[in-house]
Amino acid sequence: MIGWFRRVWENDPRKDPNAVVYFLLAIFAVLFPLFASVVTGGSPNFLLSVAGDAGVYVLLTLGLNVVVGMAGLLDLGYAAFFAIGAYTYAFIASDHLAVTPLQTTLHVPFWIVLLIALFVAASFGVILGAPTLRLRGDYLAIVTLGFGEIVPRVFKNTSTWTSGVNGISALDTPELPIWFKGPWSGDPLAVVQNFKIFDPLGYYVIMVVLLVICVVLVRNLQNSRMGRAWAAIREDEVAAAAMGVNTVQAKLLAFAIGAAFSGFAGTFYGAKLSLVSPENFGFSVSITVLVMVVLGGMGNIPGVMLGSLLIYLVIFMVLPSLPDTVTSIANAIGLTGLTQASGDFPGIGEFAARLKFLIFGLILVLVMLLRPQGLLPSREREQELTKGTHDDTIIEDVQAETG
Amino acid sequence: MGAVGEAIRRRRSDLRSGLTGRALDVGLYVLILAFLFLLGTRVIEHGPDYLLQIFFFALANGAIYALIALGYTMVYGIIELINFAHGDVFAFGAFASASLIPLFGLSEGQVWGPFTILQLLAVFVVTMLLCAVLNVSIERIAYRPLRHAPRLAPLITAIGMSFFLEGAMFLWKGPSSVHYPDVLPDLSFTILGARVGVKEITVWITTIVLVVGLALFIDRSRLGKAMRATAQDRDAAQLMGIDIDRTIAATFFIGAVLAGAGGIMYGLSYNTAVFDLGFSAGLVAFTAAVFGGIGNIYGAAIGGLVLGLIRTFWDGYFDSAWSDVVIFAILIMVLVFRPTGILGMRVPEK
Amino acid sequence: MTLGGPLLTLGTHAGARSYGGQDPQKTPKLGGRTPLSKRFIRGLGLLLAGTFLAAACAQGGGAGGDKGEIIIATNFPTSGADRASGRGPEAGANYAVQTAATVKGFKLSVKNYDDAVNGVHDPQKGAQNFTDMVNNSKILGVVGPFNSNVARATIPVANKANLVMISPSNTNECLTQDFPYCDPKPAALRDASQPNNYFRIAAPDTVQGPAMADFAIDTLKITKIAVWSDNETFGKGVADNFAKRFTSKGGTVVVRQDFDTKTTSDFKPFLQRAKDAGAAGIYAGATSATKGCIPRAQSKGILDVPYLGPDGIGDSQCVKDAGDQATDKMYFTNAAADASQDASNKDLIDAFKKAFPQKDDSGAYTFPGYDCAKILIDAIGRAIDAAGGNMPTRKQVLQAVQDTKNLKLSTGTYSFDKNGDPTSATMAFYQYKPSKSDWDFVKQFGVGQ
Repeated sequence: MIGWFRRVWENDPRKDPNAVVYFLLAIFAVLFPLFASVVTGGSPNFLLSVAGDAGVYVLLTLGLNVVVGMAGLLDLGYAAFFAIGAYTYAFIASDHLAVTPLQTTLHVPFWIVLLIALFVAASFGVILGAPTLRLRGDYLAIVTLGFGEIVPRVFKNTSTWTSGVNGISALDTPELPIWFKGPWSGDPLAVVQNFKIFDPLGYYVIMVVLLVICVVLVRNLQNSRMGRAWAAIREDEVAAAAMGVNTVQAKLLAFAIGAAFSGFAGTFYGAKLSLVSPENFGFSVSITVLVMVVLGGMGNIPGVMLGSLLIYLVIFMVLPSLPDTVTSIANAIGLTGLTQASGDFPGIGEFAARLKFLIFGLILVLVMLLRPQGLLPSREREQELTKGTHDDTIIEDVQAETG
Repeated sequence: MGAVGEAIRRRRSDLRSGLTGRALDVGLYVLILAFLFLLGTRVIEHGPDYLLQIFFFALANGAIYALIALGYTMVYGIIELINFAHGDVFAFGAFASASLIPLFGLSEGQVWGPFTILQLLAVFVVTMLLCAVLNVSIERIAYRPLRHAPRLAPLITAIGMSFFLEGAMFLWKGPSSVHYPDVLPDLSFTILGARVGVKEITVWITTIVLVVGLALFIDRSRLGKAMRATAQDRDAAQLMGIDIDRTIAATFFIGAVLAGAGGIMYGLSYNTAVFDLGFSAGLVAFTAAVFGGIGNIYGAAIGGLVLGLIRTFWDGYFDSAWSDVVIFAILIMVLVFRPTGILGMRVPEK
Repeated sequence: MTLGGPLLTLGTHAGARSYGGQDPQKTPKLGGRTPLSKRFIRGLGLLLAGTFLAAACAQGGGAGGDKGEIIIATNFPTSGADRASGRGPEAGANYAVQTAATVKGFKLSVKNYDDAVNGVHDPQKGAQNFTDMVNNSKILGVVGPFNSNVARATIPVANKANLVMISPSNTNECLTQDFPYCDPKPAALRDASQPNNYFRIAAPDTVQGPAMADFAIDTLKITKIAVWSDNETFGKGVADNFAKRFTSKGGTVVVRQDFDTKTTSDFKPFLQRAKDAGAAGIYAGATSATKGCIPRAQSKGILDVPYLGPDGIGDSQCVKDAGDQATDKMYFTNAAADASQDASNKDLIDAFKKAFPQKDDSGAYTFPGYDCAKILIDAIGRAIDAAGGNMPTRKQVLQAVQDTKNLKLSTGTYSFDKNGDPTSATMAFYQYKPSKSDWDFVKQFGVGQ
């Protein structure tokens, strides 16, 4: 039964898993607050807050997916745009500019900064993209890598403007000009002005709305003329150019749109955390987002969303809780001896704490070895990859697969 | 329409890139001149002795980068993979030799004789072999199964392997930096007012021997020829009866031998090693490989040397907080102005 | 349980997805490499699921103490490279809680949080940790965080919930005191209607750097010095404050450089430059986790002058890193009196080393971490009294910490001012003695705030 289901799911071209995944993700997003409050017995703040933070990574992944997955341009310095978005918010929505040579402050509302950061980040995308369009393949990747290394260091070293390593904190909280209080928040029904969003639920809702907007946008782009141009460039740039695709325009646009998304993500990150500091936009962020894209299934929107959520879960929840978990397992199955330190062995919990890096590496290697196409690749690409593109091995392969 | 149209388009774009290419080259030279001028004023301010001293440090620094860069460039040349784990193989070389040195009876501040040189040579050989075995197994486990997979899949396993190796070294020696025994004799000579220690000389000689040996190997030996053929066209090479798997494994083997030697010399020069050392060193070495034109062996050696010079001169004359920014800015400019690196061949994009 | 519940669900979900819901009994139907991989994924999935299940069960059971359980949380970076800094205070705090075991009839336990992501302390992760702590009503206080930028992100979260936090290591002066150059102002991190919830026991950078500058000029008679820092919050702050005082007392800072110690190990050009400029001393604004003493090892044959630094370099790691250049020319200041200096601490240190024998357990901040937990336990005890023997509120605990008066602990005697700073800090000077193979106490004095 399950085998049959799997066979149909993976091979029947009429059954596109994407629709189901979109549906599940939507249901999940709507029900998550309820779910969070049920499992925690009425204090969902922690889970909602984590979900908001995870959303930042989903946004980043969606953006990088445009660059890497759709247009096929490998970007190893994506965190730079994220940093630019976050610092944009920090500059124009806090008291910070008062301690810079400008001696004045700007407090632009969050909603407007979202747009500003979008344009700032997109401009940087174009600035980086324009001179590098001559480059192809891995050379482009290396330029982006260099850019990704430079940007956080510049933020770190220009301390008169950015407060250097201290970062910028106490950023503005998003405000709604008008909001209703009522029984749901435990107050009598009333209209409030300048309602500050502190509640994790508020951030969660903002994030979900942002994600919906972005997903709709990217989906439309993917199915548009531009999306087809990207696909053509990804598959064969020379052929695409020969067929009349304006490769310069298409590549620049991919860069700009990818960067714009991380502008969004950066603004949200800055507002929610109320802090930006240069150490948190390093190469490891770029790599993490890239891993999310590739692991989820390059080019497939629900795939990369799923990938980012899973990786986020592993990095931020599973690995940190590993020491406690293995200690409890050892206790539960009666191996209490393992939890004690003896000689060189520091106890299994401590041991697990040191293993985190190693385990993450293993997970990456294994997942890629087992599913090189990613967890949920787009249907067309999976066909190309597993069934071959132009010869008649399709039937054989289907048989081998279903055995 | 297709063929003719494309031919015309090609011709046009060739013309265009030829023209802009020349303009961009001029831009690059202007930048280099501006930098040299700035450097020149500082050099005069600090005097010639200091300049020579910094130059000697820089040569040693660059030699180590060059050794790591060679491994990157060889692997990239043959399978077009940015082997992120390579830097960690280098770090493993430093770690392994730090443990091997006392095992082979060497210790800090001992008396030197012919036998001690043999001991140190033994440390070199064993470390290089260990690194080679490690790198070949990485290739076997993480890259070979993915040779026909989507392009980014092996990149992710490379990153995974890098994390794995760092995790393993973390487990082995802990998070703090490890002191690397300072076994070389504390001798130095004064050349024109600048001091040259045994450390620097060891690094130079080892690097020269290894690079010359590598060049001879690639040029003269059968396996070297097979490597060049495989790098040029893997399918054709296979048709000519070259064992692709063996050739690729040999590339990883040689790359790791060089990285292992680099690891030992890093330890001997700076007397420290830390588990995530390979990450940053790898990034710079990779930059060096690109700088020289990735896939080009001489390019990597020269790239490493040049980056070592840039970094050490920047540290010596300017503010070191900016030296990484400078290195990566140069990387970007080189790629923008000369997309195939300083010595890069004009390879057709596959 | 808050953590275990949702993960349980998500975990099994993830597991189920990855092996496509196949029946485990039916595997041996295929040849080649697929079954191996499938078996592996299944194993991984089962392991994950089991992990969460066990975690959930274990957390559900056993509440031990008579009146209930009180948890002290710790928040340090304890994975990857940052473990070198964060594990010490975590181990110290854990030891304090383990040895206390109960307080006034309540069972005392500890919950450790890691704020490092991919080996680097991460303010976002820190804020998440604190949100989780705030939700857990058994947690009455936090020891940590280690890094100032994590403190900036977490003070607001804890402040809204009146959760008290004591840091053993934050030294950035702007966290508690308002100087014109501070960004943000300390007040911007706190809710004006809530009492201050942030305390620390380390003296701020405005004390430690200048103290060494005085020592260098007055005692060591150095007039020209080269200063470098690791370009981190602590290192750069203390180096800047050192340089400021050194210059204002008539000395000259001949070279001033910041290094990115994650990518550089080559300090020879800096040392050469210092030598050429005639430096008679080197000040390292760094910790031994950021290569604080590597330049000392590399100075061999170049420049053998006094090597000064903050408490971050005052440990055995630094001595190891300096190799055979570890001589009596190395000095450091300690913002708290060193635990090992006080003879009455000998038993404590021995007992700690027995309970926590790993090398990363003992660092410069181990005993400050221990003391923070001790302050918290002491305050919780008084808060229980104030609550009439019942579970105290967080506000009561916070008030009790604020009221701490002359509590004598391993690294000093502590009281807090209204900003949360220790009212008097001890500044101690140490010099390395090769004959003892250890740091040796030179002198110490109290510094008022």
